Parts: sequence; structure tokens; C-alpha cells
Amino acid sequence: MRYFLIVLRVALALVFLYAAYMKLREPWLLFAMSIDAYQILPEWAALTLGRILPWLELFLGLLLATGFGLRYSAAGSSILLGVFFAVMVRAYVMGMKIDCACFGLGDVIGPRTLARDGALLALSVGLTVLALRNGRVFKTSQI
Amino acid sequence: MRKIVAGAVLLLVALCAWGAQMRSRGVSTAPILIDVYSDFQCPACKALYERTLGPLMYEYVDKGKVYLVHHEYPLPMHAHAMEAACYACAASRVGKYEQVCDVLFRQQETWAANGKVDETVCSILTPAEAKRVRALAKDPAIAAQIKQDIQAGQSAQVNQTPTMILTYRGKQYRLPGANYDILRRFIDQLLAN
Repeated sequence: MRYFLIVLRVALALVFLYAAYMKLREPWLLFAMSIDAYQILPEWAALTLGRILPWLELFLGLLLATGFGLRYSAAGSSILLGVFFAVMVRAYVMGMKIDCACFGLGDVIGPRTLARDGALLALSVGLTVLALRNGRVFKTSQI
Repeated sequence: MRKIVAGAVLLLVALCAWGAQMRSRGVSTAPILIDVYSDFQCPACKALYERTLGPLMYEYVDKGKVYLVHHEYPLPMHAHAMEAACYACAASRVGKYEQVCDVLFRQQETWAANGKVDETVCSILTPAEAKRVRALAKDPAIAAQIKQDIQAGQSAQVNQTPTMILTYRGKQYRLPGANYDILRRFIDQLLAN
């Protein structure tokens, strides 16, 4: 179980690090434009998120890679991926032909991107459950 | 024989380049080039034309900062998009491309529903222009020009309409949205560099 947890954690860390890298290599205003295309947030919020989200993904990726504060980083990644998935589903249902902006630009929201992000969310939720359960076992054994 | 074929190919390429030039706005030496791939029957393209390209042309294209090139990218799912593209290209040959774009987008819902592309386009042309545009719209050279636009879009990996590709100092940026304020910031940032 321990090795499974490590594999899951590292895999998710690589996904977050790759997503952050793909966003940070492009001008941040393009990412802000992608966020704005979802038509959920006001412009100032899209601009703010466009600046900070890639760094947040990088931070989460590093936390997951090192395993430091795993319960919190796993829960954080599940919340983030849950939000991403929800807004993508909304855009798809509304028939919006926009970039998902998950891993850079040029990836239009469709069944493939939804399946990919759904799978990532499932992985992250799985990791969160295992991390929380492991933490509880650890605490119980300490007592 | 080879010389004739080569000559014909060169002539076709020159005609297509000329056709593209007639669907562009601004000075070709502007520091930023924006290629727009759009479909006259696509609602998002209408929104782009009305909310983004209008102010962009006024603030950047007409001031020599951006060179805007239109490419027709009619999607097969839109029944009258190809016909509209043919009429727009034909109108470019009589110097009325922008006016035709304007009327096609403004009355998109109407002609998309009743299929009266000809009526919509000719409503803003003089009888002589309308006659010429009608004839040109059926010209195989116009269809070839649109086909070349589509092929250019496919090479540029255009997978949705509208798609805007911005080129600055040899680097290409695919613009993922149409928010004019953010686009303006981006262009200003590039020009400031």
C-alpha cells in the first residue's frame, strides 16, 4: 500500500509540475485570456488567477513530489481538480468551444479532455483518501 | 509543358496571395500580425467581429501597430457558411470585403435561418457590384482561394472557430479568447518589449 501511495503521489506531482511548466512558458496574459473565455469570473479575477494559478500548481506539484504535508496537498489538489472538472463540464454542456487551458493552449474542451481530467480527479481523490487513512493509522499506532 | 505548369502554379499562388491581401487590413510591415480564421455562420465569430476586431482595428490596425489578415474557415456543420465565404471573397475583388463581412455578421441569425446569403450580401452592393459578385462567387478561383485558406488553417492546427494567431518577431501565439481588454494588454506588453 505504501508503494502504491508513492506511485500515485509522484504521478500526480508530475502532472501538476507539467501543467505549471506548460503555463509558465507562455505569457501569463494568454492564460488569463483562457480563464476569461470560461465566462465565469470577472476580468480582474481572470487576470489575478492567470498570474497565480500556474505558481499554485507548481507549489502543489512540489509538495506532492516531496510528500511533505501529503494530506493537505492531496486534499488541495483534489479541490483544485474538482473545480477544474466542474467548470470544464459546465463549458461543455453549454456548448462553448474553448480551450481547456489545462496543459497550455490549443486543447479544446471535449470528451477526451473531460475523460482525462475526470481520471486525474479520481486519482487525486484516491490519493487523498489513502493519505488521510494512512495518517489516521499512523496517529492510532502512535497512541 | 513543365514551364506552363510551373507558370500556372505561380499564377495561382500569386492570385491567392493577392486575394488574401484584399482581405487584410493595416500595413503589412506592422510589428504584429494577427491571422483570423473564422466562419460567417459561427456565433462566436460574430461576437469576435463585433466586440474584439472592431476596437482592435480602430486602436491598433489603423495606427499601423497590427496587420490583420482574415482567412475563411467555413465549417461543414454550418449549411450556408461556404456560400457566405464565397460571397465575401468575391466581394473582396470589388473592394467591398469589410462591408460584406459587416452585413453577414450583423444579419447572421436571419440568413443562417432562411439561407438568403445572396440577398443579404447584395443588399449593400450597387446593382453593378452585385452582378459582378454573383458571378465571382461561382468562380472556381474563389472556391480554390477558400480551400487554400482552409488548408492554411489545417496546417496551423486550427481546430475551432474563431481562431486568432498572433505573430510577433517570428513567434506565434494562439489567442485562446476574445476579451479585447486582455488582448489589448497583451499587445501593449509585446510592443513595450
